Amino acid sequence: MLMPKKVKYRKTQRGRRKGLAWRGSSLSYGDFGLKALRNCYITDRQIEAARIAMTRFVKRGGKVWIRLFPDKPVTKKPQETRMGKGKGAPEGWVCVVRPGKILFEMEGVDANTAKEAMRLAAQKLPIPCKFVSREMAA
Amino acid sequence: MRKEITIAADARGSRGKNEARRLRAAGRIPAVVYGHGGDAIAVTVSPKEMNRILHSSTGHNTIFDLSVAGAAGGPVMVVDWQHHPVRGSLLHIDMKRIDLTKRIRVKVPVHTHGDPVGVKIQGGLFELINREIEIECLPDDIPEHFTYDVSALEIGQSLRAGDVPLAGSMKLTGHAELVIAHVVSTRGSDETAATEEGAEAPAKAEPEVMKKGKKEEEGAAPAGDKGKKK
Repeated sequence: MLMPKKVKYRKTQRGRRKGLAWRGSSLSYGDFGLKALRNCYITDRQIEAARIAMTRFVKRGGKVWIRLFPDKPVTKKPQETRMGKGKGAPEGWVCVVRPGKILFEMEGVDANTAKEAMRLAAQKLPIPCKFVSREMAA
Repeated sequence: MRKEITIAADARGSRGKNEARRLRAAGRIPAVVYGHGGDAIAVTVSPKEMNRILHSSTGHNTIFDLSVAGAAGGPVMVVDWQHHPVRGSLLHIDMKRIDLTKRIRVKVPVHTHGDPVGVKIQGGLFELINREIEIECLPDDIPEHFTYDVSALEIGQSLRAGDVPLAGSMKLTGHAELVIAHVVSTRGSDETAATEEGAEAPAKAEPEVMKKGKKEEEGAAPAGDKGKKK
């Protein structure tokens, strides 16, 4: 699973996730991509599941870029615990995603294969996504 | 490349995000024209016309005429543009006045054709690293794109900016060693695919916290160093 090697603090505040992804919203590496249409937290497990779904579908050939990194720790209190007594223990890692962000990119496969691979990947994610290609953007 | 297109623009007196939003709702987009020793002028243009230019074969390197408020303007070129992150609609355009007698720097796309030997026979992966090269030339000499036959590329070989043949007044301004495309072995990616299946969920470890790391380092450091730090 993806997670930072070194962090300054073990726990962070939640922050805001409103607005649009003005950065990272265009294809940079590949010919095809998957664009987020809502804001959400995407966990390291979801990223891994989406990546595996994509790479298994394309089998050989093709290259996948992961354009998001879960660098935000999320905490959770144990079950049946009363409120208070401090912040919970770190539970996992998430990436803050805003609408418009390119989540994955792909190259080296035809458009139909890429579209199907991205559809499978999008099924592993908690938000609706859109398939984008360089031809559509140009 | 120069084209006989004239785009009508209106001068824009009001500024700010709210006025820009109203403009976009009315079917126009804010734009700015500058360069060639003249003042920067805020204008509005039709996004449909601008999209037609950006989606044409010459793309953003198209040189066209801009008439501001009915007055005949000189040749201009799109130098920057913004899209909405979700809808993909045009939000703003920067245009630059062009002196047709002076050399300008432009980015020209490089198109490749042919199946590389490294992919067809050796089973490698063809990757495009840079899709454009920056050249300097006269405005009338700007090519639509460069085409290069990559069918001879084997695994480990690459196409570099210096390999692209230039003609006329064109001169490469960027690095000649800039990699445009290469063929790489897919063996590495196969290995990762194989490992991903076996090691699904490694033991969840917490990352190193920087403060903790520092203390450990201090503890591990020899006593002489400790004394110096204190």
